[in-house]
Amino acid sequence: MAKDVRIGFDVGGTFTDGVMLRGKEVLAKAKALTTDDVTTGIINALDVLLRTKKAEVSEISLVSLGTTHTTNAIIERKNLNKVGIFRLGAPATTAIPPLTGWPEDLKAAIGGAENIFIVRGGKEYDGRDVVPLDEEAIRSACAKIKGKVDSIAITGVFSPMIPDQEERTAEIIREELGDIPITLSNHIASISLLERENSTILNASVITVMRRAVEALKKAAKERGIEAPLFIVQNDGTVMSADYAVNYPIFTVASGPAASVRGAVYLSGIDNGVVVDIGGTSTDVAYIVNGFPRESSITVTIGGVKTNIRCPDLMSIALGGGTIVKTKGNEVIAHGPESVGYNLVRLGKSFGGPIITTHDIAVARGILDKKLDIFDTDFAPHIDKVKALDKDLVEAAYKMIKNTLEVAVDQMKTVAGNVKAIFVGGGALVVPRENLEGISEVVMPPHFEVCGAIGTTIAEIGAYAEGVADLEIEDRDAAINKVIEKAKDEAEKAGAIRDTVEVLDVEEIPFAYMPGKREKIRIRVKGKIFE
Amino acid sequence: MSVYDIIKRWGIKNYRVVDEQGLKEITLGASILATGGGGDPEIGFLWALNVVKERKDIVLIDPRDFPDDALAAIAGCLGAPVVLTEKPPNGKEVLWCLESLKRYLGKEIQAIIPPEAGGVNTPVPMAVAGAVGIPVVDADGMGRAFPELQMTSFYTHGIMPSPTAAANEKGAVTVADAASAIMAERIIRNAAMAYGGISWIAGYPMTGRQLKEAAIFNSISKSWELGKAVYKCRKTHDDPIENIVKIVGGYKVFKGKIVDINREFGAEKTKGFSMGRLTLEGLEEYRGEKAFVDFQNEWLRLEISGKVKCLAPDLILILDSETGEPIRTDIVKYGYRGSIVVVPADEKMRTDLGIETFGPKYFGYDEDYTPVEKLV
Repeated sequence: MAKDVRIGFDVGGTFTDGVMLRGKEVLAKAKALTTDDVTTGIINALDVLLRTKKAEVSEISLVSLGTTHTTNAIIERKNLNKVGIFRLGAPATTAIPPLTGWPEDLKAAIGGAENIFIVRGGKEYDGRDVVPLDEEAIRSACAKIKGKVDSIAITGVFSPMIPDQEERTAEIIREELGDIPITLSNHIASISLLERENSTILNASVITVMRRAVEALKKAAKERGIEAPLFIVQNDGTVMSADYAVNYPIFTVASGPAASVRGAVYLSGIDNGVVVDIGGTSTDVAYIVNGFPRESSITVTIGGVKTNIRCPDLMSIALGGGTIVKTKGNEVIAHGPESVGYNLVRLGKSFGGPIITTHDIAVARGILDKKLDIFDTDFAPHIDKVKALDKDLVEAAYKMIKNTLEVAVDQMKTVAGNVKAIFVGGGALVVPRENLEGISEVVMPPHFEVCGAIGTTIAEIGAYAEGVADLEIEDRDAAINKVIEKAKDEAEKAGAIRDTVEVLDVEEIPFAYMPGKREKIRIRVKGKIFE
Repeated sequence: MSVYDIIKRWGIKNYRVVDEQGLKEITLGASILATGGGGDPEIGFLWALNVVKERKDIVLIDPRDFPDDALAAIAGCLGAPVVLTEKPPNGKEVLWCLESLKRYLGKEIQAIIPPEAGGVNTPVPMAVAGAVGIPVVDADGMGRAFPELQMTSFYTHGIMPSPTAAANEKGAVTVADAASAIMAERIIRNAAMAYGGISWIAGYPMTGRQLKEAAIFNSISKSWELGKAVYKCRKTHDDPIENIVKIVGGYKVFKGKIVDINREFGAEKTKGFSMGRLTLEGLEEYRGEKAFVDFQNEWLRLEISGKVKCLAPDLILILDSETGEPIRTDIVKYGYRGSIVVVPADEKMRTDLGIETFGPKYFGYDEDYTPVEKLV
């Protein structure tokens, strides 16, 4: 029997979606409530898919997911590791110690300032030592944190160019503390010490969360007889193997939205435009450029911390099926930001409840007139309650919702004039779709309601690498090729077949204010998991 | 003696103490005035923030109140922005410079003045003054950013950069004392190279009398006002560009998208600059128009649809249209959308010696300087 069935999951704030595909054919769809631990929701969706018997478990070749494990843990400050923080850079850098500018509660959740060590070391841009690495200081720091921390974050000055001190530090820590998860900053992000350090520490803080999730999912798959590799979507919409992801959970913070952009491109065939992903509690607006989510150009703030990881440029607005319409008599006062979430089916007017939501306005306005087969409940079992709503109220709320959507799309646009918009997500039917300002056409591809889950199954591995070249000594092409090879190594490590790896982006950044021809080279690649 | 004792002795009653929010606003405002240069504001801001959190007050005084016979000096850094971003200071470098300067001059430095308006060289002098316990003079030497030591209104009004001390994080200190301002610049830049790309500096000693004649007045207050306005716009969703134009007395001349960044690597070798040219395609009411911006670490020359619209030392600001965040030469990327605002430089920057020192010809453009008011 051919092993050609792919399974994908997309974890949202309200629902976890699942899909089962063979080639381009969608065999089954599932929707389960997202659970507090996230993992149970995924397993529930998996069981719904398997119960459809649309494929044998032995046919499953890949399980892939876009998840919120990492993001939730950081935002809620829950289940975070205590992190031993090493910076290799004294006597430089000490004016701004690690965790400067972090929210106090997050600082406390990762063990606070007592596990911070700024060790003598670091590199100059040209490869000289700032000072030789103080190995003794690392060993004595280990003695202090032994048994007190769950993971380690190491950040060295200029390590993205010259990583050896970070690697040596990791070696020493392993000698002293044994098998403890260690994150090296040169694997996480590029030049800009403080933001890279923040990203590295955040990564170290969620390693256990990600490990547990991956272990639980692997176990659940195995128990169900599935023998297929597990992949996780990363922020740029490509995927990485779960075994790689457990060490780099920070690359999954925008996993869900990135997956839905990839899914929207895949389903609609549109390479440039706007993706509007409408859920139960919120809507994500993203921009697609040549089939991938546009990258954010500014520092990305996660849980109140500035980082320099690569993330899609996203705008999240409080607009979902369950978003509450606040009224006073027959007057609309506001729309959101609160949402009834999955309690929509108890509290919404359409379901006989007391609260007016986006969903109810859509029913009243006639734009929502069918049940999607992934939902258990009919879209309006108490349609009489909706019909009883005041017409002016419905119209005012509809206009408010339409305006919210138009403003969000407009803010994300890079070009004046109208763009194509792809509406996806379980809430796609509850928002206005006609005569939207700034939008030339609203496309709702088949399976739009599980778009994110489909996006996870496209299965392209992404990776990137950086290097520094002195063009006075080195040949430019040779220098670029060296970094391309490094990026291909990274892609291969993440699960790609080397021969299929192609270069997405070559970026050269000269060092300003310095005589000479030194520049930074940054390469982004993607490769296939299957030939 | 605390900073408050000092200003009391000088009889100063009107002063401003900079708090965390103020620092944030000043740093943003100064980055806007930095015309694409000035480096990553995060470092300067966080450093100054730590100083404030240690309850070392940063006290801002008006240049008019600074006594004629008191001595002020600049503090900050000079060199490669990327090195600064990757290798922040330990905070003592500039203090070591000040100590050397004091030994060299046999006199105390009684106040700090920022050399330029920039994301780094505005908050850093403030941090240094706070750490030392002396006031900051609400003024600077450019009202914008330029890369070289002699490119200040101080120099063009007769104040020499020498002596200037340059230190690294290990306590190595170089004191440049040269009759020629350009030679002082060369010495300090070479020290930066030896230090790994950045020199932390203090120097340009000047008396209150000299400062009042040469400095650009109230540039920190202007940065503060700018930053405050932009943060407010972000909250109220008002147009930040419109507000910036109003505060700086400039002109909005373009809105567009960056479609090409052509960097000239050769220039770095011969001049030690990051040089190049941006091409922007117009958006909205500027649709169909094309803008070119030449840069050498800062935006220096603007041409729109074949006509020169602004030349250094007048200011060219490229700002994110929605957030008002300045787009810098070291982080500019293909696809960025920005509004271009041009601003007349302070009159003190427009003297004959000024135009010779930082006008178009110094930067290698074969053009005579024409004030921006006549070009827009």
